[in-house]
Amino acid sequence: MIVNEAAETPVDNLLLTNAAHADVLAGGCACCDGREAFVALLRTICGMRDAQGAGAFDQIVLETSGLADPGAIATAISGDQMLARRLIVEDVIVLVDACHGAAQLSDEALCRAQIEAADRIIITKSDEPSARDTDRLIQTLKLLNPSANIEGAEKGVPVKLPAHDDATPYPLSGSGIETVPIKPHRLDISGGGGWASFSVWLSAVLTARGNDIVRVKGVVGSPDGRLLLQSVRNVVQPPEILPEPDDTGNGFLAPAEGVIVLIGRHIDEPTLERSWQKFVMGTGS
Amino acid sequence: MCSACGFPALAGHWSDAGVSSPGDKMRIRFTRLAIVNRLLKPYRLAAHDDGATPGFQLLAPDGARVMVKNLEELWKEAGRIAGTAVDPLSARALGDE
Ligand SMILES: [Zn+2]
Repeated sequence: MIVNEAAETPVDNLLLTNAAHADVLAGGCACCDGREAFVALLRTICGMRDAQGAGAFDQIVLETSGLADPGAIATAISGDQMLARRLIVEDVIVLVDACHGAAQLSDEALCRAQIEAADRIIITKSDEPSARDTDRLIQTLKLLNPSANIEGAEKGVPVKLPAHDDATPYPLSGSGIETVPIKPHRLDISGGGGWASFSVWLSAVLTARGNDIVRVKGVVGSPDGRLLLQSVRNVVQPPEILPEPDDTGNGFLAPAEGVIVLIGRHIDEPTLERSWQKFVMGTGS
Repeated sequence: MCSACGFPALAGHWSDAGVSSPGDKMRIRFTRLAIVNRLLKPYRLAAHDDGATPGFQLLAPDGARVMVKNLEELWKEAGRIAGTAVDPLSARALGDE
């Protein structure tokens, strides 16, 4: 476990006693000024793991500073030759304070970037505001990131969230902030030439639209086996070869092969389909 | 294998994953080049792959040639020469303008 504090004096680490191993990275945020120290620490941890041999840990938990952009952290990992080979960003978990979440979402671009990058959103202190306000917050989060799982927790213990789907989301109007919400878009590429062809098209799409397409997920066939595709903004994780379907791996529920989900704004399914047909399949117009 | 960490070396860019046998590599090279050229055509650019060196040669309308290492570099360089990003979802690429 790595605890990152943007402040010079670490305090959060005093609360962490159960982690198998904890490192504190203080005095700089891993996504920006602390980036070099963060990359160096990860390299050291990978080296330690090699020395441990069998029984070594297989997961690193990074608790970022509250000001970190998950996209920039993914970029830091994939930009390092050694780390890119060894680490996969598996799950981006974002905590939202039920009392302040709505105000932060309306004013802070960083807060929205964090929500958009999340695989799981955990709402804390959900019993402090009225159930109606928590409902509105949940609907706002669903609007911003329709594909994330939203859960409640208090000091690490899951709590039930109110569930009124008819609550009105808070208006998202902050000045200078992108107000078009992201949406998931599906693209069926099962009729095409697999990863070798699809990745050509996708690399062009992400180079042009990396700021609008916040996540891409899917399973794509290749000569070496099924590849798991995951991206955060324009950073694509080194694709992993998945075990065959009868072997479920580490509880990972692989989506159907050949269906890609692109989560983003200013894109639509008919255009994705037409573009894929025209450029990858060489058909249509 | 990478001598520093003992793990297989990256095939290169992420887009090069999933194809390790030399035969497969040769076969996909030409399929991929065809897709690259379909994408470059609306921007009056073309790419060439000599089949020997990794990467591509990007051909500008004025005949200039630029070597690029991988697809990401290719799209960035093509966007620079064309003066606008090569965007497969744009009206220009899709022939809607
Ligand atoms: Zn930062």
